[in-house]
Amino acid sequence: MCNSIHGIAAIEVIGLGREFKDGLKAVDGIDLEVAPGEVYGFLGPNGAGKTTTVRMLVTLLRPTGGHARVAGYDVERQPAQVRRRIGVALQEAALDPLMTGSELIELQATLHGITPRSVRARGAELIARVGLSQAADRRVGTYSGGMRRRLDLAMALIHDPEVLFLDEPTTGLDPTSRLTLWDEVRRLRDEGTTVFLTTQYLEEADQLADRLGIIAAGKLVAAGTPAALKAEIGRPHLDLVLANGSDLERARDVVARFGDQRPTTEGCHLSIEIALGAAGIAPILRALDDAGFAVAELELKQPTLDDVFLAKTGEHLEGAEEPMPAPELA
Amino acid sequence: MRASVRVLARRALVNATRRLQFLAPLVVFPTLLLAINVGGLERTTTLPGFPHVDGFLDFQLAAAITQSLLLGGVGAGIAVALDIEGGFFDRLVASPAPRAAIVLARVLAAGVIAAVQVCYFLVLGLAFGAEIKGGLIGVVCVLAIGIVAGAGFGAIGVLIALRARSASVVQGIFPIVFVVLFVSSAFFPAELLSSPADVVAAYNPLSYIAEGMRQPIAFSNELAPVLEGLGAAAAVAGTAIGLSLLALRGRLRDA
Amino acid sequence: MSRHVQMIAALVRRGLNEILRVPGGSLPGVLAPTIFMLGLSAVFGEASRLRSYGGVDFLTFICGVGMLQGAGFTGAATGVNLARDIEQGWFDRLLLSPTPRPVLLAGIVGSASLRALLPATFLLIVALALGVHWPGVLAMGLAAVLVMGLAAAAACYAIVLALRFRTQQAAPLMQVGSLAAVLLTTAYAPRELLSGWLRAIVDVNPVTHVLEGVRQGFVGDVTWATTWPALLAVAGLVTVFGALAVRGMSRQGQ
Repeated sequence: MCNSIHGIAAIEVIGLGREFKDGLKAVDGIDLEVAPGEVYGFLGPNGAGKTTTVRMLVTLLRPTGGHARVAGYDVERQPAQVRRRIGVALQEAALDPLMTGSELIELQATLHGITPRSVRARGAELIARVGLSQAADRRVGTYSGGMRRRLDLAMALIHDPEVLFLDEPTTGLDPTSRLTLWDEVRRLRDEGTTVFLTTQYLEEADQLADRLGIIAAGKLVAAGTPAALKAEIGRPHLDLVLANGSDLERARDVVARFGDQRPTTEGCHLSIEIALGAAGIAPILRALDDAGFAVAELELKQPTLDDVFLAKTGEHLEGAEEPMPAPELA
Repeated sequence: MRASVRVLARRALVNATRRLQFLAPLVVFPTLLLAINVGGLERTTTLPGFPHVDGFLDFQLAAAITQSLLLGGVGAGIAVALDIEGGFFDRLVASPAPRAAIVLARVLAAGVIAAVQVCYFLVLGLAFGAEIKGGLIGVVCVLAIGIVAGAGFGAIGVLIALRARSASVVQGIFPIVFVVLFVSSAFFPAELLSSPADVVAAYNPLSYIAEGMRQPIAFSNELAPVLEGLGAAAAVAGTAIGLSLLALRGRLRDA
Repeated sequence: MSRHVQMIAALVRRGLNEILRVPGGSLPGVLAPTIFMLGLSAVFGEASRLRSYGGVDFLTFICGVGMLQGAGFTGAATGVNLARDIEQGWFDRLLLSPTPRPVLLAGIVGSASLRALLPATFLLIVALALGVHWPGVLAMGLAAVLVMGLAAAAACYAIVLALRFRTQQAAPLMQVGSLAAVLLTTAYAPRELLSGWLRAIVDVNPVTHVLEGVRQGFVGDVTWATTWPALLAVAGLVTVFGALAVRGMSRQGQ
């Protein structure tokens, strides 16, 4: 169904900036490129410039510096062509509470120039897709937050966009609704839609994004695949606490052959870098056991995107400590 | 109690100055209507039965003041309704402050704003050629009636807000304010009102309030109309404050 | 072109929800002009004894004012609703669509024009019931056109403010502007009775011609001499404020 533009970036941004009248530089010279059919995650704390960037790319805000092309068209010089090819679900699911779900879908379809004959059928299809068939004829004012978000997504897809912008789509949603939305994003990617997703949730970026950009204070501080970004920071570490009275130095010698670097000790903790991740734990435990050491506690620590953010900015990403429901891994 | 009333009244006044978009209509609309009434209907002072005045502006000033005070009451109601909608009202109720202070503070703030409104129209009138026949004592009489009436209308606004709980409902009361004002002798002499407005006006406290303020401006410091005006204002204020306190008690009981 | 008409129709339908789906909420706006008309005629009714009124009773004289007041209130309410839509993000959704901005504007303004007929109709029914002379089909048709036109102009004015301030707190500015435009005319008295300063404003206020155009059928006969200035005035107001509104729409996001 989706018309991807082969050989042309779906989103191309060069030196994009936005300075407001009071001198605030909300976005300060961003360069990025998103390939067709890719899910690009745009991660950053509150106030980093994510929403300002999105608003420029979807033609709601004029850049004060740089250029951007979306779906092959310049956002400043060809905004109408851009709007025809994008779908947008902004941070606030701005819906008219007096209208029903069906009416809103039909209004959106009409505004996108879909012929009256096609409007009903297309609307019904999308409403069914997002699981709102039962509620379609109820006023939106009676919808829950999750239902509003799903309707918002359906409206963004009514005209089969080439590029879909989702601005913090799961903020405020319950765990089940969040997982449902994640599934929908994966499905869209499989269908060939390019998705530009902003989020402040590490897990969401990790789970969904093919590639990521991390923004802080208006600047892009890191970009790449989640795995590559984390590998830049370091490898997984196995952190061990041995039984009381253990000779930590001797234990260190026992496990020195595992990992490229000599294990480190801190207090009663012994830390070993293991390139293989979880697969490398068993040989280490066997070696310690053979040498007569008892392990009281162990933990496998993997670099996180928050570690990436910390390394690049010196600060933790907001929400890094926020509990996220354990999702089913794709 | 006094400290709570003082601090809450100060909050109400500070908020009012920071929300000039709510204050502006209190003077802008009545000023516009005053200008149009005077500019268009000056010649009605020549109608048989119209009391002798130096100018229609002298006659209309009291009407404009009364209208402005009524709109101030609507404004006080909207402010309380916004507090209720926004949850600040619950914060006040949960505090150790006496609950009656919530109402009395708004009433006090409305009275202070009323003083400003009265002064504005008196200065405006003087600037455009009106004369306050009663002199300084007359000004004091007008201020006294205006402040008490303004406080009373503020209490009515609070009462409506406590019952309605929604700012948009309070705002919808706006046309009714004008209905009550039209069926009074605020804008035109009672003798020249059409039926049934003339009958209703005789029992409408707004007639006495407006005439009480009009007396020292357009005529003289004759005591009777001034006292009637003050009495009517006090009656409105007393009744409205009592009903507001009852409404507050009822609301807290239902919560 | 037909797609644009469909877009306008869809937006007009949405705008009518304010009346159809919130009946209590729109009641003050529908009732207010009639209340003003009745109240003013009860208060100032004796003024029509002055010779300059030409024997026309005060209620008949101000009937047209009420209809235009309704148009002004409706226009102001349109701006307030747009400001609400801006605050709540719904307006962004409209801007994100490929619908040309003038078409979006036409839809919003079109709904205001249609909605203005409701307070005008209610007022007319009450006025006729109270003895105001039926002005005839031609006069009513002309009045409807002028009411809808003024509502469109008032809506454009209010939209300019909504786009500039982007908050419902600008509502009083919208309301005062509409009210002043309608009342700074021969609203309450014929031109001969007006004070010098008011007469000077009335002479340059285009809404004076619009009011005289609405009033003519109620107080006498419909004449071309009174009609063409009214139509020209309303067309001019819609053009000027419409152009400002289009400019405001195109500058969104700067």
